[in-house]
Amino acid sequence: MNIKLLQRFGKIFYLITGFTLFMIGLILDVIGKNVGPVFAQIDLIKIGAFVAFYLFIQSYWKRESIPLKRLTAILILGTVVLGISLLLAVAIGTEFEFKGSSLIPNNYSTIFISNALAVIIGVAAIIFILLLRDILVYKPRRYTKRNFLILVIGLLAATFSAINLNPYESRLVTTILFGIFVLLILINSFRMPWIVFLKKREKVLTIVFTFSTLVIFTALSIIFQDNSSAGKSILYFSHSLKYFVDGTFLFVLLYSLIAFLSTIFHLPTSDTFDRKMSEVASLHNLSKLVTQVLDFNELVDSVTGMTLQVCEAKSSWLEIIQPAEKLKNLKPEQSGIYVAAQKNISVPDIDHINLSSSFTLRSSVINDRKPVMIDDFKNDTRTQHLNNLESKFGSILAVPLIARNELVGILYATKETEYGFDREDLEVISAFADQAAVAVDNSRLIEKSFERERLMREMNLAQEMQKKLRPQTIPNIEHIELEVFSSPAFEVGGDYYDFMMIDDKRLAIVIGDVSGKGVSAAFYMAEMKGIFQSLCKIYPSPKDFLVNANQAISSSIDKRSFISLIYAVLNIETGVVTSARAGHCPFILAKESDVSFVRPNGIGLGMGNSELFTKYIQESQTQLNSGDAVIFYTDGITEAHTKDGDEFGYSRLLEAIKNNRDNSAIDIRDAIISSVNKYMQNQPPHDDTTLIILKWLRN
Amino acid sequence: MTNFKINFRESSNIQIIDLKGYLDAHTAPDFENAIQKIINNKQYNIIVNCKNLSYISSAGLGVFMAYIEEVRKNKGDIKITNMSSKIYNVFDILGFPLLYEIMNTEEDALKKFTKSV
Repeated sequence: MNIKLLQRFGKIFYLITGFTLFMIGLILDVIGKNVGPVFAQIDLIKIGAFVAFYLFIQSYWKRESIPLKRLTAILILGTVVLGISLLLAVAIGTEFEFKGSSLIPNNYSTIFISNALAVIIGVAAIIFILLLRDILVYKPRRYTKRNFLILVIGLLAATFSAINLNPYESRLVTTILFGIFVLLILINSFRMPWIVFLKKREKVLTIVFTFSTLVIFTALSIIFQDNSSAGKSILYFSHSLKYFVDGTFLFVLLYSLIAFLSTIFHLPTSDTFDRKMSEVASLHNLSKLVTQVLDFNELVDSVTGMTLQVCEAKSSWLEIIQPAEKLKNLKPEQSGIYVAAQKNISVPDIDHINLSSSFTLRSSVINDRKPVMIDDFKNDTRTQHLNNLESKFGSILAVPLIARNELVGILYATKETEYGFDREDLEVISAFADQAAVAVDNSRLIEKSFERERLMREMNLAQEMQKKLRPQTIPNIEHIELEVFSSPAFEVGGDYYDFMMIDDKRLAIVIGDVSGKGVSAAFYMAEMKGIFQSLCKIYPSPKDFLVNANQAISSSIDKRSFISLIYAVLNIETGVVTSARAGHCPFILAKESDVSFVRPNGIGLGMGNSELFTKYIQESQTQLNSGDAVIFYTDGITEAHTKDGDEFGYSRLLEAIKNNRDNSAIDIRDAIISSVNKYMQNQPPHDDTTLIILKWLRN
Repeated sequence: MTNFKINFRESSNIQIIDLKGYLDAHTAPDFENAIQKIINNKQYNIIVNCKNLSYISSAGLGVFMAYIEEVRKNKGDIKITNMSSKIYNVFDILGFPLLYEIMNTEEDALKKFTKSV
């Protein structure tokens, strides 16, 4: 607060000092008219006033970095000064008498007008210098500021060297210093890097402004000629100020002249420059876009939008090619390539271009992975058949989007004029397409990782669900050994098995395989468990059970999926096994006399209509004797295969059981598993594997 | 990963698909696309030749089931031929022979088609 206050006082102090010194000068001039020059250092006092005015202006000066605005300020101030000078010096006029080597004013009004004119022109000159400084130090190089400082010092040196010089005399030192100053103007004035960066419209504006400035300042120079009324006024006031003002006018004149000429020279290239600037801007934007890949639609929209900017195209569209792995999950009616975004063109037009003949831009870019440019759309043999388009095409350009050696899309741009695209356009669009390809690719990678995470979560959920679906305990029944081996090959398997006591005498066993894996398999499995638990007590006959289970599951299962199942009921008092098979691997009956497959007819659940299912299903019944074993399994056992694809098969399974029939259930189980593992040479299992061994030990 | 190939042929207006290699959950969509393409062209007489098919999983079998209804509704059929005994066994266990016409040779299937037409 204190500092601010101090600063404000400082500013007011400068103004008061300047004004006081100026008034002293004025009073001395008035006295001088009557009694001749009374005070030899009158010039110093007047210069002091201007120094104070300068400090005052400087304290309020806001640096502005736009040269065109500064130029405008010079023009406006110049015009105002011209108007005032015309009013004071020409309209009202001053009268001087030439006495010796001095100018003596004829009346007091001349003294006042001279002083007023001098203070206005002097302050204006200071402002002109400050404005020029701002223009010159725009985009400074190492010596820019130094050079300008030397220039100002040169002007001030010339000004000071003319102290107390009579109006029409000259000093050698002043002439030399002024000469050096002019040289310095030339050195400084060729610095105009700001012109290059102007847009075309701004360049035209600059030409108009610099030309006007030239006119205004030429007029000012004429008005302030040494012998004119205004010139005399300043010379009378102070010859030093005359040098300062003349120097400033010269500076403004030379600088505007050079600016005028060089803007004219730059005008023809301004279109190219404008385009380069917009190219740079859009490439810059795109590189920003690369980080904004979370929204794919936004991304492709921006790519087409920027294509219009980059090469001033009329319309643009982007076709995205689906990655191979995504293609597999597409429905056949969907195409692997689609229009992701378009600008100023209708989808029917795009389809028309792509579909109407054997040669299309699309297939050409896909095959060659090179840009295709058609300069004359109407007459080119490749496109001349394309009429009836809503939009008007003169030329068209198609460039491939390639990321990690993979064609991810095709970018199109069109213009209404023939030969609208030149080599530079092609290069820029290609560079642009590379950037866009990276962005598209990144966007996909991100999407993929999201997708993977989602699947992982789903899988975990399904796995949890499946664990709960498996029987938590195996029924413990006297004189029956029951052993289970079950291992899903993937996170979620399709194998299902369960046990249930229908009543005191009957044990129901179910084993099955749901086609497919993952979440859908877990879902069908859950449904199967529900069906098993609700139907097994209602339909103790395996055939009836399966017929009803088929009916229940058919209505909800996908037509591509099915469930293979064996449903067996063991009478634990008599040892009679009744079973029916719905497309599942036949189970094995290991009797003392023979080890054999039991394979009653039956088709998988959910495969055919109910009528067919009922028609074909059979029931089988076997009496177990002590030491007999029943082995149920899923195809994970028989289809276990070596690296070369040779399957374990049915005969090896039969063999393993034959060799171990007399062992306990647990030993039979382990023997089969170790036999399978040995055969697979410890390869990881490819499919879910489930094995149920039932051993009957009652005499 | 696994090599699976589909080849299309046509013989007197009957579409023949040759399957080769492993038809499993990964390759089943290819097979499905193949059949869909034929059906889209309103061709409903289809022979699937399994001569060079070395493996078929439940997902592969599911493809047949997905289209048989539509094909038969349009008075066509999918006949399966030239299976190795191993492949046949997979079809057989599930009860496919009860629902589909499985024939030893392509010629048999072609004859059957032309007779019925």
